Amino acid sequence: MSVADGAFVSILGPSGCGKSTLLYIVGGFVQPTKGTAKMKGDVIREPGPDRGPVFQEFALFPWKTVLGNVMYGPRQQGAKRAEAEAQSKALLEMVGLKGFENFYPKELSGGMKQRVALARTLAYHPEVLLMDEPFGALDAHTRTRLQNDLLSIWERDRKTVLFVTHSVEEAVFLSDKVVMMTRSPGRIRQVIDIDLPRPRRRAELLLDPRYQKYVVEIERMFDDSGENEL
Amino acid sequence: MMRRVAPFLACIGLLLVWQLGSLALNSDSFPTALQAIEAIPAILGDKDSLVNFGASLRRMTIGFSVAVAVSIPLGLLMGRSRAVASFFNPLLMVVYPVPKAALMPIIMLWLGVGDLSKTLVIFLGVSLPVIYHSFEGAKAVEEKMLWSGAAMGLSAAQRLVRIVLPAALPEILSGCRTGLVLALITMITSEMIARQSGAGNILFNALDMGQYDTVFAMIIIVGAMGIGLDALFERLRARLVRWSDPQFDVPLSFS
Amino acid sequence: MNARAITSDLLLGLIPIALLVAVWQALVSFGYAPVTLLPPPGHVIRRMLELLQSTTYQQEIAATLFRLFAGFAIAVILGVSVGLAAAVSPTINAVVRPIVRVLAPLPKVALYPALLLLVGFGHESKILLVTFDALFPILLSTYYGASTVEQKLIWSAMAAGTPPREILFKVVLPAASPSILTGCRIGLVISCIVVFLAEMITSTDGLGHVLVTAARTFQAVDMFVPLITISLLGLILNGLLELLRSYLLRGFPEV
Repeated sequence: MSVADGAFVSILGPSGCGKSTLLYIVGGFVQPTKGTAKMKGDVIREPGPDRGPVFQEFALFPWKTVLGNVMYGPRQQGAKRAEAEAQSKALLEMVGLKGFENFYPKELSGGMKQRVALARTLAYHPEVLLMDEPFGALDAHTRTRLQNDLLSIWERDRKTVLFVTHSVEEAVFLSDKVVMMTRSPGRIRQVIDIDLPRPRRRAELLLDPRYQKYVVEIERMFDDSGENEL
Repeated sequence: MMRRVAPFLACIGLLLVWQLGSLALNSDSFPTALQAIEAIPAILGDKDSLVNFGASLRRMTIGFSVAVAVSIPLGLLMGRSRAVASFFNPLLMVVYPVPKAALMPIIMLWLGVGDLSKTLVIFLGVSLPVIYHSFEGAKAVEEKMLWSGAAMGLSAAQRLVRIVLPAALPEILSGCRTGLVLALITMITSEMIARQSGAGNILFNALDMGQYDTVFAMIIIVGAMGIGLDALFERLRARLVRWSDPQFDVPLSFS
Repeated sequence: MNARAITSDLLLGLIPIALLVAVWQALVSFGYAPVTLLPPPGHVIRRMLELLQSTTYQQEIAATLFRLFAGFAIAVILGVSVGLAAAVSPTINAVVRPIVRVLAPLPKVALYPALLLLVGFGHESKILLVTFDALFPILLSTYYGASTVEQKLIWSAMAAGTPPREILFKVVLPAASPSILTGCRIGLVISCIVVFLAEMITSTDGLGHVLVTAARTFQAVDMFVPLITISLLGLILNGLLELLRSYLLRGFPEV
């Protein structure tokens, strides 16, 4: 499988198929048992700021404030405190958390924590965003809000995104390409191009027959495979 | 396999370090490991010592059993009733840092030098961890389990015995394990303070009389008792609560 | 919990203590206990205030505190370093684990005579005993905290560019701090207990020694005072540690 620069790619599959593992391999957190993962021609061996993760569990540092969390990456890269702070505050404003800089993660709701996690990763300017079912732990309403927010943030500099999910609608709504995986042992079944115009608005898209067709077809493909692989 | 052998290797390793250290220091008051080990049969064979050991173990058993019998119900009640917990908590917190063996002189004044004072002190020493662990264990029992029980018609007392007790058992047994270690320690310490009978008495007599081999031999024996009791208890506990998640123990070793 | 609940809990909790003091007073007033064996609470408090103002008693307290802090500090430094090391390095883990399993259930007070023979009857033997006893809870809590750090936290830090050698201090240590501080609290209580007991067994100064001297001269009042003193010291130190803990862990969710 290959991912073009600037593409928003979803990895879709049933539970346990290894889609998260695939993401972790790209992130360099886990080593593949067979085959290689490469970024811009170089083999991926370890994590780095060029591939920034956003996890479902948020993984925020509880001992740091919101601002402290976001500043972590830039400080690690060697930025001066004042510079990192200014940059981080701007990012927090962009994700809609202005005013919460001195809060601790425990004081925030799930949706807010995920925004912090996103800001924290964006703060060190990764070329690729690795998102592991980031909205899975949130309620439906928060999820749709964050999906919209994610898209508008992404539109700004069009980073490459690898987005793992098990929701067909989410995958179709967000991405340019959907990579479908079979159930365990996971294999890539098919890659589907999502030819829908951007910017995407939920209200419009839900009523758009092309969107509906994509969702229905992909879901049918999953159902079919389920019956065959009994 | 390595896992099971490792503790033995550790023992041997430690004894080796001791042996080398004592040879290096070459001091009269620091016998080698081998000398200490050689002195062990003499102690175990001596009738007087055996009487002492028997007394020690007897006190420990009685103190431990009574403590457990009293502390578990108290801890469970505290865990499920805020009123009971608030009533006893501060008292227990005040008593907690007091070394129970340190109460020996006072208790000796009142109850004399015999078994009763030492057993009482052991009782006090074991009670606290068992109460606290029973308390924590009872507190953590899921409310929904109790509601299911109530819906099935169990009374409050029945729920306590048939749901709370088994559910809290892993934690309670953790407390008992700590209590066991404490019983051993309190027993030895109380005997070191009130020298009249028991293992601690043998230890310090030997110290006073300059029989350093015996001193170190006793240390090995007492150490072996501690490790042996702990291992036995752990086995018992694992069997009783086979169904629970692996527990993490912070082996507490109060003096 | 709101303020009203806390205060009502507090009041409820004071009842058993107040009751105890009342019973104590009653036993004396009604002549059930001779004043020589059980002095009335008033006497004890008066004597305590008296002693607290005398420099000799203050020196005793200082001696005890010095040994306590020294032993505790060493235990913290050793325990946290070894615990962290064992959590991140499988080799160190393989070596440390069996040693800890063997040494932890051992009643360390049994080692006290050995310590006396090795380093003499002064401060060092007591400090060392405190260290041995307080070490294990701290080590084990650190190990537990460090080895259960959420993997994703470490990955997030690595992706942000943290080199592996810095992960220990920037992620593992802070993430493990709740556990470490719990272990420290246990270690602190143990330190209070052990230092007092060691001073009771052999010493020339310190609070434990004061108690034993009073016992030998049948001064009941003077026996109660050091006990209450160590109890209060323990409470105060525990309180201070709690404050430190709340400050350091202000970002962490309640466990």
